[in-house]
This record gives sequence, C-alpha cells and structure tokens, in this order.
Amino acid sequence: MSAAKKHVMTRGAWAEPGSSLAFKTGTWRVEAPFHQHRCAPCHDACPAGEDAQAWIAKIQEHRLQEAWEELVAANPLPAITGRVCPHPCETSCNRGSLDTAIAIHDLERFVGDAAIEHSWAYPWLAKKGSRKERIAIVGAGPAGLSCAYQLIRRGFAVSVLDALPEAGGLLRSAIPMTRLPRDVVDAELKRLFALGIEFRPRQQLGRDVALEDLEAEYDAVFLAPGCQQSHGWDVDGATPPDLHEGLHMIREWIDLGSIPKPASVVIHGGGNTAVDLARIMKRAGVAEVSIITASGLPGPDTDPDDVLNVVPREFDEAVEEGIVFYPHHTIKRLIMRGSQTTGVEIARLKKIPGAGGKKKRIAFEGTERVVHADMVIPAIGEIVDPAGLEELLDHQPYFHPDEWGRLQGRTTVLAGGDARGDRGTVSAAIGDGRKAAIAIAAMLDKRSLPDESRERIDVEALNLNYFTPAARAEPPKLKVAERTDQAEIIGSLSEGEVFGEADRCLSCGNCLACDNCWNYCPDNAVLKTVELASDGSHYVFDFEYCKGCGICAKECPTGYIRMRPEE
Amino acid sequence: MTTPSETIEIKDIERLRAIEPRFRGLESGHRACQGCGEALGARLVLQAAGPDVVVANATGCLEVFSTPWPQSAWRVPWIHSVFENAAAVASGIEAALKAQGRQSKVLAFGGDGGTFDIGFQAVSGMLERNHNVLYVCFDNEAYMNTGIQRSSSTPHAARTTTSPPGKARMGKRHLKKDLVSIIAAHHVPYAASTSVAYPADLRKKVRRAIDIEGPTFLLVHCPCPLGWGHDGALTIEIARLAVQTGLFPIIELERGEVTEVMPLHKPRPVVDYLKTQGRFRHLFSDDPRALEEREHLQALADHNISTYGLAIDHADPLDSEEADTVRRGGLVS
Amino acid sequence: MQQALEGSQAIAKTVAQCRPQVVAAYPITPQTHIVENISKLIADGVLDCEMVSVESEFSAASVVLGAVAAGSRSYTATSSQGLLLMAEVLYNIAGMRLPMVLTCANRAVSAPISIWNDHQDSMAVRDAGWIQLYCSSNQEAVDTTVQAFRISERTELPVMVCVDGFTLTHTLEIIDLPEQKQVDAFLPSFHFSRTLDPQQPITLGTLVTPDYFTEIRHAHHRAMLKAADEIVAADKDWQAISGRASGGLIREEGAKHADTAILAIGSVLGTLREAMAQYEGEKIKLLTLRCFRPFPEDELRRMCKGVKKLIVLERALSPGAGGIIGAEVRAALSRMAQPPEVYNYAAGLGGRDMPLDLLERILKASSKPARDAFSIFDVQLQKLPAGER
Repeated sequence: MSAAKKHVMTRGAWAEPGSSLAFKTGTWRVEAPFHQHRCAPCHDACPAGEDAQAWIAKIQEHRLQEAWEELVAANPLPAITGRVCPHPCETSCNRGSLDTAIAIHDLERFVGDAAIEHSWAYPWLAKKGSRKERIAIVGAGPAGLSCAYQLIRRGFAVSVLDALPEAGGLLRSAIPMTRLPRDVVDAELKRLFALGIEFRPRQQLGRDVALEDLEAEYDAVFLAPGCQQSHGWDVDGATPPDLHEGLHMIREWIDLGSIPKPASVVIHGGGNTAVDLARIMKRAGVAEVSIITASGLPGPDTDPDDVLNVVPREFDEAVEEGIVFYPHHTIKRLIMRGSQTTGVEIARLKKIPGAGGKKKRIAFEGTERVVHADMVIPAIGEIVDPAGLEELLDHQPYFHPDEWGRLQGRTTVLAGGDARGDRGTVSAAIGDGRKAAIAIAAMLDKRSLPDESRERIDVEALNLNYFTPAARAEPPKLKVAERTDQAEIIGSLSEGEVFGEADRCLSCGNCLACDNCWNYCPDNAVLKTVELASDGSHYVFDFEYCKGCGICAKECPTGYIRMRPEE
Repeated sequence: MTTPSETIEIKDIERLRAIEPRFRGLESGHRACQGCGEALGARLVLQAAGPDVVVANATGCLEVFSTPWPQSAWRVPWIHSVFENAAAVASGIEAALKAQGRQSKVLAFGGDGGTFDIGFQAVSGMLERNHNVLYVCFDNEAYMNTGIQRSSSTPHAARTTTSPPGKARMGKRHLKKDLVSIIAAHHVPYAASTSVAYPADLRKKVRRAIDIEGPTFLLVHCPCPLGWGHDGALTIEIARLAVQTGLFPIIELERGEVTEVMPLHKPRPVVDYLKTQGRFRHLFSDDPRALEEREHLQALADHNISTYGLAIDHADPLDSEEADTVRRGGLVS
Repeated sequence: MQQALEGSQAIAKTVAQCRPQVVAAYPITPQTHIVENISKLIADGVLDCEMVSVESEFSAASVVLGAVAAGSRSYTATSSQGLLLMAEVLYNIAGMRLPMVLTCANRAVSAPISIWNDHQDSMAVRDAGWIQLYCSSNQEAVDTTVQAFRISERTELPVMVCVDGFTLTHTLEIIDLPEQKQVDAFLPSFHFSRTLDPQQPITLGTLVTPDYFTEIRHAHHRAMLKAADEIVAADKDWQAISGRASGGLIREEGAKHADTAILAIGSVLGTLREAMAQYEGEKIKLLTLRCFRPFPEDELRRMCKGVKKLIVLERALSPGAGGIIGAEVRAALSRMAQPPEVYNYAAGLGGRDMPLDLLERILKASSKPARDAFSIFDVQLQKLPAGER
C-alpha cells in the first residue's frame, strides 16, 4: 500500500472493487518470463537444414502445399530424401522420450510425392534472371542440384555440368530402385530444371573442361563431383584377382542388370553401399551373404560414432532378408585356393581412441575365425577422382572446405557434398549445396554470411504431461517373399495417417496457443491476444503484475516460455 | 522494472486487460506469494462462477492478501467477517437474497483451517439447513496465514511448525481428515474434490455446483510454496503429483454416493510427490522411521486408489484427467 | 392495542411488525420464547420472513451479519452464554457498521451455570461498539424494540435491547402493543448504503494497517456519542405516534430538587418505583438509566446537579474492581464541580429476588459513609466459609 498517498477512511473500512490494480506486484520480480522460439531437435539435426517442425506444423493445419513450400526452402528433393535419408531428425525427436519419434521421414516422402502428383511449383526468392552473375556447378548430384536450386531462385544464372549424360549422380547410379524409384527421380529433377538451370552433360573435368576455364567464364564455381574413385583396398597387400568394387557393382547392376552370383559372398564395409549390394545379391540368388564391418549395429546402447552408416530401416530389412552381419570385425587374411577365393579370416576389431584422441583400429589377437566365401567385395568407401582437380586437391583424397563450402585461398571456388569426405548422405549433400549457394550470393553481394547458429530445445525444457501417448503411423512394407529388384519395398502412409502422425508432433519451441500460461497464472499477468504478438505468440506478459513465479514457463508444453533474471 | 522489447506496448496492455475474454473476479495486484496455489484456485473459481455472485470469505491467506485497505482485488461483492463463520455469513446472505427475491448465487470461501477445524460447525449447519450456497474450501493443508501450523487437513507425517519432526516425532501424527466424505454424509446434492493442476476439471465442477439449487461443496487442493517448501514455479507440477499418486483423489459425490472419479491411468509412487517438498524432507533421511512413514503414505495412497476405484486402464473421452492436455494424440482410433 | 401477553410474546409480535426479512434463531433460556413466538408468527403466515435456525449463537450472529450486508433488515435474540459465544461477531458487526437489532434477555453467566437474571452478559460486551438500551418494563421493551430499528438504521450502529430474563420475558402483563400502521409510519423500509450487490460490487471487512486503524475507531466512537441525539429523537417521535415515552437516555422520577438519587437499570426499577410511594414528598428521586451505551455523561451530570448522594444499584460486577456502572458514573461525575457522593451496590445477581423493602434498606445503609466504594448489597455472608467472606 502506498504510504505517499493519503486516503480518507471509509465507513467500516470498505474498499472499491479491483482497486488492488494500484499495487504493481511486478516490482517483486527477480526473474521474468520471455518467449523464445528455440530450434526443434529435428531442425538442428537435419543435415539439409530443414525446419521439420515448421513444415509439420503446416501439415497439422492440413496445408500440404504450404508444408512442401516450407520444406523446399532448404531441400528441393523431398520425394527423394523422404526415401533415402537416414533421418537423424527422428533419432533426435523429443517425442521419443514420451512414446516414439514422429515418422518425419515418411511425412516428408508423402509431401514430396504430393508435390509431384499436384505439380506444385517451387517458390522464388527473387525475380528470375534478375542477377547478371553466372555460376558454374560441377556435378549434377544432390549437392550440385541443391546449390543450383538455391542460386537460380535468388535470380542468378546457373549452369550444371556433369560427366554423365543424365543428371542425378548417385541418385540414379547407386541407389537401388527398391528404395528410390527412377520415376520419382525423374519427376523431382524435371521440376528442378524447369526453373531454368542450364544442364551441360558429358562434361568431364580434366577431359572436356578445365577448372581454370570455368573460373574465367563464370563468376563462381561450386565443385560437387562426388567420390568416383574407389578407395584402394587390399588385405595385407593381397587382393583377389577377380576384384569387384562394391559401388561399381551396384552401378553395373542398375545400368545393365547384371550381377555376379557366387554361392557365398563376403562384403567388407559398413555403409549403404555394402548393405544395398548385399541385399541385391541376396535377392539375385546368392545363398550366403555376409557383411564384415568395423562398425557396431544399430541399437539403443550403440555409440552414434560407432554405428553402421546406413538408414536404420535398411538394416532391419537386410536382417529380415537374411543378410548376416559381423559387426566390430575386420578381414585379416584372404584365403585362396590358387586364384579362387575360398574364404576370409576375420578378427574382432574396435576403433579405440589412442594418444592424442585420434581413433586407432585395433584387431584383437586370439579372436580369429574363418568365414567361407567364394567372393570378397570391398565396399569401404570412395575418394574424389583427382582428374582436373590436381592443383586444388594436392594429393588429398577429399576437399576440406569450411562449413559454408569455402576453400582456403579461394574466393570464387567452393566445394561440397561427398567430395568433402565427412558426409555420405544425400541430405548432407543438399545441405552443403544450400550453404555454398548462400556463401556465393553473399560473396557476390559483398555481404556477410547469415548467422545460422541456433539454440536447440531439449526434452527437459518441454512439459510432456500435456501430451497423451499415441501410436506412431507405420508405412506398409512388402513382405520378404514379395520383394523384387524393381518394386519399392516401403510404401507410403495414407493422407489420414499423415495428418494423424503430424498431430503427434510436439511443436517444440513454438506457441501452440494452448492457454496453459493464461490458465495457470495466479496473478492474471498473462493476457491473451487475438492478434499475433510481435514475438509470434498469442500471449502478452503483463509486467506490471508478473511476480516472476515461473509457473508459466514450467507448464508451457513446448518450452516456448523461459525465465531470465530481471534486470 | 523493464519491459522486454518483444512485448506489446503498455497502452495496449490496458486494452488487453479490459477485453480479456474471461471474468477477472480476482484482480491483479493482490499480495499472494509468487506461485500461490490458493490465489490461482480463487481466480479459477470466480472465472467459472462469473460476476453474479456474492462471496463470504473466512479469515486466512486469501482474505489477507486480497483486501489490504484501501485496496481490494475482488471484483465481486465480497465480505469477510471472522475466521469460523464463512458458512454462517453465507447462510445469512442467502436468506436475505431469498427474502428479497434476488437470484445471485452465494459462495463461501474458506481455507482448510476455517473449514476443517474452526469453521466446521458452521459448514455442517449450512449444509443441514439446505442453503443454496456453494462452499469452496481452498485446501493448502495447514494454517498458512499464521505461519504454517498444522490443521486437521495436514497430511500424515508432514512438517509444520506445530508438528515438527524430531527425536520423538516424525511430523504430524494424525491423518488427514476426510472432509469430503463428511460433507457427503450430509446427503447434499453435490460434493467434490478438485485441484489447481486440473483447471478444466475445476471449472467444470464450479459450474456444475452453481447450477444446483441447494448446498454444494468443493475441496480445491492448492499447493503453498512457502508452507510446503518448494519453488513457486512447481506449484502445478506438485499439485498434479498429489493427484497422480492417489494421495489426493479427485472424486464427486451426490447425495452421499460416489458418482464420478478422475481415473489414474498410471499411478505414480508417493515418493515422487514427497521428495519435491521440504515439508517431507525428513522422510528421506536414514532414520528407520522415515522408511516406515514413506510406506505408510504409500499405503494410504493405495487405499485411496482401491477405495475409489481410481486405477482404470482405459481412457474415456469424458474423463477429466486428459481434459487439459494438448490434443496431439495421433491417429483417431 | 392493549393485550395481556408474556414479555417474550410481546417482543416477538413487535419484531414481526418491524418487518424483518431474516431472523436467526438459536434457543437459550430465557430468550427462547422470543424466537419460538416468531416461528409461530411465520408459520401462521403473519410474518413473511426467512427464519434461519442456526446451529449455535455464533452462527446466529453471523447469519444476521450476512443478511444485513446483503440488504435485508435482520434480527436475532440471545442471552448469557450465547451472547458471549457470539462476542467475536458482535465486535465484527459493529466494526463494519452494520445496522441490526438484537434482544438480549439478560441472564447470569456461567460458571456457575444459572438461568436467572442479571446483567453480567450484556455488561461483558459493553466495549463491542453496540448501542445498549435497557428496558425497565415489558412495555418499554416493546417500544424500545421499534425505536431500536430506526436508531440502528440511521446511525449504522447495531443496537442491543436488554430485557431482564424471566423477570420481564416470562411475565404476563397488560401491554399496549403498537399497531402495524404506527410502526410503518415510524420505520421506513430497510436500506443499507453498502449492500452486497453484483451490480455494484464492493469489498467489506478489509485488513487495516496502523496507518488507518485509529481513524476507524475514532469515527466509531464519535458516531456512538452522536447516537445519543438519535436515541432521544426516536423516543420523542415514537411518543408522538404511540403516545408512550420510553425514557430517552435517563428517566427522572420523584422529587424535583432531590438531594438523594438512586440510579438503576432494568426491571428492578419496577420494584423501586413501587417502593418510592412511601417516600412521597421526600427529597429523593429515581434515575432510570435506559441508555448505557453511549454512556450519557452530560445527561447524568445535569440530573446530579445539587444531588448530595447518588446510589448506583446494578446487577453485575467486575470481579477485582467492583461496580461497572458505578465506575462509569464516578468517572462522569468527577468532572462536576460538586459531585454527589456515590454509593455503589450490586444486588440481585443470578436472579436473587429484589424485594420491595430493598429501597428502604439501601437508603438506610447509605445514611452513613460507605466503608467500601462498592459492595454486593444482598450477600449473605453466613453462607460462606469464614476465609471467603
């Protein structure tokens, strides 16, 4: 009660209604609430930079086209990534702490397919052709295509060069149709090129075009040539005379339909190539197919740094189809009979950090065993083909650009995609392409790069009491006996399932207008607004009365309200 | 006091207060502690009851923090007399309104001290005489306004200043009085318990009680950060745990019979609730009596769950347990 | 209209004529007949009123408090233990300045338990802030009750009408009952300025800090003092309508220039008036103290001018101090230049009969200087062990 103002006593000390408004309890605060949109883990984890929470929010509103438009801000090929991405978004999804992660991967596929079905158009960021600058992109794989997409939408002129007659890179040549139907690739790429990107096929760097010529003709060059050259592989110096390299075999099978069919095969490697090849061979009729890999198998206790580098459902399907895995193993010796491989000696292996923290591969003596096989196929990865890039690569297997693709000592040449060596997924390649485009645009505009740093919202910041458990939608899957070399194994969710699944999304870090803060404030210090407040919510804190108790922050289901010290 | 830049300007705030789409029966500016469960309870009750009410309020925290002359946080006609007579004053108001032919509903507000103990007789008389009054007891389980002394509503083993733990004692010796059953034994048309952690349930019950012609009773569980020993931000969390452990069952009784309960699909162990509050801290020491008391409280919770049949494993769209959830339920089955 | 009625019955009928909308009832001897009679009037359709049969006197006072605050004229009656039980609420009613009338059928206060008349009960709550009017006859009780409602409603102070239990309440007398139209002419319909109304909500019963508490008490005290005018006016106006006077603040009877005066309250005055017949022509007068709160100092001093001896006879005491009325009388008279000598006695405690010869014996005892400032006149010391006399 204010001592300064003198009051005249009322008879019987009665008081006016609501006169307590004169007392500003806001002065009691030591902490104040504020609204902050934090990045959902799916957004943080997406290598392409998609804000999955944002486009799923559009699906919740049944606005599929807007969902797709939000998605393609970062990734122009959702029908593709929705089939091939290892979905780290799902691994990090906060809903996993309540029941099961949102099926983001399947939602993305549905949205991508809907765009194809309805012929939706990419949104533009600037008028087409409004910029006079021209950029050359080497490699029409996902990294190159993503970079081209982002640049042309910003008004630049873009030319994409590729050694092959068709665009798509690994999408066409290395990923099986059972995972990625070719008509989907065709449709996505058709829409992409319809933006006006120039395609220069059959242009091999070194043989048909020189990097210096590109640098002279164009205002910037983005190198996304992928890794076209196999890693050298031998076992203690020895290789089988009929050595086939894994990725090469897959390409041949896709292009020509032919694949060797030994009675038994051992594949050495722990990536998508190894697993894809194993499944192709098994389905083709190879009786025993084994994978020897230094990595661990996907599971709840596996260190993410140590796990098989495949899409988890690919692994599940491989096991269903009868592929045998030997995790944490290496091949020590080839067993030959004359020139014919008869088996391999394998031993247990772990990658253990040594002095200085660098991981060393240690094979453990005394754990050797023999696996019979008529063929041993390496699928241990590839490196950049140095043809035409000798000066830039300088005998290194990969480029080492910064996170924006910029190369040291070069302003107008950038690199990204598998050629970086530390990527390996289509989504990461798409992310590299996007960032390189932004870096190129910034360089040409003489602007500084945007700050894409984000604070991620973890599950501890959410209040899961306000969400009820619900089952995750599962797409249909062909039974093992029904699987062929052509038909897509995993099907699509239905539209109803998609809307239902999107409803499971917790909307981490966003205001849901759930009214919790408004309901629970003992001091009427949260006011509701019909209009959107400037911070993106539908609530305003009444700081004249807010005592800073923190109930609103604690009960906000999405962690959108936080507390900070009162100044 | 700062106004962070992301909010709307102050002149818009006054407009927003004026057009706020709910009745501000308890206004801002009251002197309740940060995170006070009782202030929230009173605000929710009046929000649901609307302006056409007359309130008789017993002495206690609610009365003291809301009416320091010349200020009052109440926007309804409101009278405070003494500690033990809220129900009797309400009876008199009701008789007068009846005699005058006025329709406004009479509410009586009291804390657990003023209802379970000193005001018990007046409540019983009001119920017996069938006055058309809704009595709301804001139960924070002790005499809080006078500095945290035990009442008959204080739970077993809780620490208060008059039931402190020590060599010879482990907090309150006696059990929490089962007031709702006693009220229900008057065969009144409606008696129910609810909690500030379930505002949809609370509002529903207020409206239900107000629509009944005759005496009705609501017991509202309100955590007290100061008295229970917890951070003000945890008020709702703790109120929710009290219900989810079964220690504070949410039930409705009509004419003495249980007609509705809030089911517990997944009852929580009582220690989850006890460990959040300073008033139960002595139950987590190495003292062998501490284990015994924890078990006793678990047994009391289990007894409630079985007595009222709270363990229901299937969800019903009409039950209140999930009424406050955000509907992100996935596929409609 | 003249009727032979028991005191309680007459009071009940008069209360009904005042048209209360709410009556709270709790039985206690010797008040019970009042509420019983009111119940009968309601049951017979004579009185249209909400009768709330509460579960204790505490609630009785609380119900009346709530009813008045909600805008209805309200009434209750009690005695002794009941009055003390509701004491907390009496202070509350007065502090909130709520207008109402309460009949106290005066009865001794336990322990020891006694159902018979003295004034210990109403005297115990003399500081609660209520107006207290004492009736010396059933006729006065009836007339004072009507006046009490008007006094209360005009001053916004609650009024306690004190009527001796059994001696008045249970005695059959010929009483001139008011007519309804007289009461209606005298008493307007009830209007309370701070009614609880959702259309104009206010808050009653707030917490007041030291900054403002003193002022409320001061205002209350001033209001009580000023109420004396209202009490006098009510008596006069009612007399104009009914033809009957009730004695204002203090009624003077007897010799015009008396040098001895006897001041008393309650039904004993009936006996004293009869006994005065034998002192016709002597310089003795009788003072009936009708209004005890506010204490009519000015009136008392005026009536004691020239009086050499004032005998104060009361029916209660403050153990360890002495007379209650006596102390207040002495305090008031101390401001006179030549105050009379005061003899202070209590008598009739616990309903002990006050016979006709009491006056004579008191006058005799007062002919010599008093040994004590106060004594219990009719104590029979032989009934006590030697150490307790």
